[in-house]
Amino acid sequence: MLIENIKEAITSIFSNKMRSILTMLGIIIGISSVITITTIGSSIKSTLNSTFNSLGGSSVTVYVDARYPETDEEWDTWEYPEMEKEDYITQEMVDELLEAYPDEFTGIVSQSSYQSGKVNGEDGKYANINSMGVTAGYMEYCKLDMQMGREITSADSNGAKRVCLVSDRMVNNYFGEENPLGKSISIDFADGTTADFVIVGVYEYNQVVFGKEDTSVAEKDRYTTVYLPIGTVFEMTETENNGYDYLDFTVDPTSDIQQATADATDFFSKFYEKNEKWTIEAYNMQSELGMINTVINVITVAISAIAAISLIVGGVGVMNIMLVSITERTREIGVRMALGAKAKVIRMQFIIEAIVLCLIGGFIGIAIGILNGVLLGKVAETLIQSMYSDYASYIVMSVHPSVRAILLSVFFSMLIGVFFGHYPAKKASKMEVIDALRYE
Amino acid sequence: MSEPVIRMENIIKRYYEGKPNELQILNGINLEVNEGEFVSIVGESGSGKSTMMNIIGVLDRQSEGKYFLEGKDVNLMSDDERSAIRNNRIGFVFQNFNLLPRANALKNVMVPLMYNPNHQKNRQEKAMEMLRMVGMEDRATHRPNELSGGQKQRVAIARAMINDPAIILADEPTGALDSKTGHMVMDLFHRLHEEQGKTIVLITHSKELAQETQRIITLSDGNIVGNKENQNYRNVVEERKALSMGGEA
Repeated sequence: MLIENIKEAITSIFSNKMRSILTMLGIIIGISSVITITTIGSSIKSTLNSTFNSLGGSSVTVYVDARYPETDEEWDTWEYPEMEKEDYITQEMVDELLEAYPDEFTGIVSQSSYQSGKVNGEDGKYANINSMGVTAGYMEYCKLDMQMGREITSADSNGAKRVCLVSDRMVNNYFGEENPLGKSISIDFADGTTADFVIVGVYEYNQVVFGKEDTSVAEKDRYTTVYLPIGTVFEMTETENNGYDYLDFTVDPTSDIQQATADATDFFSKFYEKNEKWTIEAYNMQSELGMINTVINVITVAISAIAAISLIVGGVGVMNIMLVSITERTREIGVRMALGAKAKVIRMQFIIEAIVLCLIGGFIGIAIGILNGVLLGKVAETLIQSMYSDYASYIVMSVHPSVRAILLSVFFSMLIGVFFGHYPAKKASKMEVIDALRYE
Repeated sequence: MSEPVIRMENIIKRYYEGKPNELQILNGINLEVNEGEFVSIVGESGSGKSTMMNIIGVLDRQSEGKYFLEGKDVNLMSDDERSAIRNNRIGFVFQNFNLLPRANALKNVMVPLMYNPNHQKNRQEKAMEMLRMVGMEDRATHRPNELSGGQKQRVAIARAMINDPAIILADEPTGALDSKTGHMVMDLFHRLHEEQGKTIVLITHSKELAQETQRIITLSDGNIVGNKENQNYRNVVEERKALSMGGEA
């Protein structure tokens, strides 16, 4: 029955193509504007989110900061203090925090840039590198995929092991077809020291993390990053107490990051209450992001509100055309009733027709909206890139229509159909069979 | 004697009831039609025959009196129950065919099945069978505007027959047709009556057409003024049989 009703509705809509399209226009415009704006909005949001995330979005950053003077007079004589051993955040404090808030913090990620250097091999082989000390879990945190081998572990870090991860680019240039795992490389650091490291893993180069490659330099001269265990870097720089002045805590995605930030601040501040020179600061990228998201949301809501008016006008159009259609088809309704159609069947038939009409309009609107969104998304990408020209190479806009908005549009189209189709359908079902049958 | 298919007791129908322009169309009709009968209701326009047809067809309700269809008082039924009666106990054949313009012949024949919850399977086969019965199977995919008047009426008869109704109610079925196609349609009614024993009620203004039925009920000014067996019926049937056989040869 339902399928037959839908088929009949489609036949009826297609038998009056021009009229149907004009009727749908309001709905097409309304739905397409909502889809366009949500597509652009969600693309901008997700682009910013992913860009921020690769810079530490889903984490709380805690760092040791100087206590700045409060008055102007003090500023004049104030000098930025030197950090002493006891001013650093210790591993014990970190462990204590992780124990105290097991639901919020899932671990720490820290990086410590070390020097650049050069790997020199036999037969004049070489590779330019930047080295960086990282904690376990850093690769996942940065969303870097491993191509082979393993990641840096806590054991590597705690034991200050001389192991490293290298980029697939570096492997291609330096090793070629040779399997790099287990090979030892010798790095000549910029400060003149040399150290040997065993390659335990190879990660995939990722443009979002590293930015676009500098194509002005020959491929084999380009710098790639070599990751070392952070403990190893601490040992090489002789930071005896393994202290951190800056570290990121990864936060459980289900927990409230603002709360976690506040908790981390409170927790570490205890240790610095008596410290006159240094204090603790904590922040997260989400609050920065929140502002941009709010702006986008406001724009989305404003345009959606205008679109809603268009949808209501469209709905009235649908109601009008349904009333015309019912008058035109009075005889048909009479015949159907004479052949045994119950009032509710007639009502259902016309409501379904209104729904199908609105849904077709909705689908056309969604298609146009996605098209608009993709085109305007490209424009937005160029705009954002020019706004943040320093990070331009990091911004790769992925335009994808918001699934939620599409589902909502489909649902809303149906709702308009039901709402504005109800009155005409009821009118049709209330007809007296003899009057309808004799209608000229 | 078993219960008649149609039994009307003192049916009165008034329009504009309680208003100054109140109009009484039927003045206490008593009528019985037995199973397997082929009767005609004849009358001038304004005699009340359309009103009769509306009441017999459960399209309208009488103001007073009782109407039993197959022994059931249809006036006591709800609107939905009356819809179901129209759907599968009455087969309508209209003067102006009343086919759905956007549906092809097969779909038109299927419409009553669509509204019959007890008949949801093999609907297409069943509709095709009905079209075959009226000789329209090769026009199944044609729309009404691609069919001649006689063909349309045959499709309408197939539609009327599909739910195996208790009565076929035909309102001026040949009124919009020329005499030749009109005869073909009447032949079809005779066949349904003779071969399948259908109860048929034919409503017409034409005394000539009424001569083709078993019993002629004459209506005038809302009263039954004549109700007699048609002595000539057998002859008409035989004559028509011979004619149609000759015509087909």
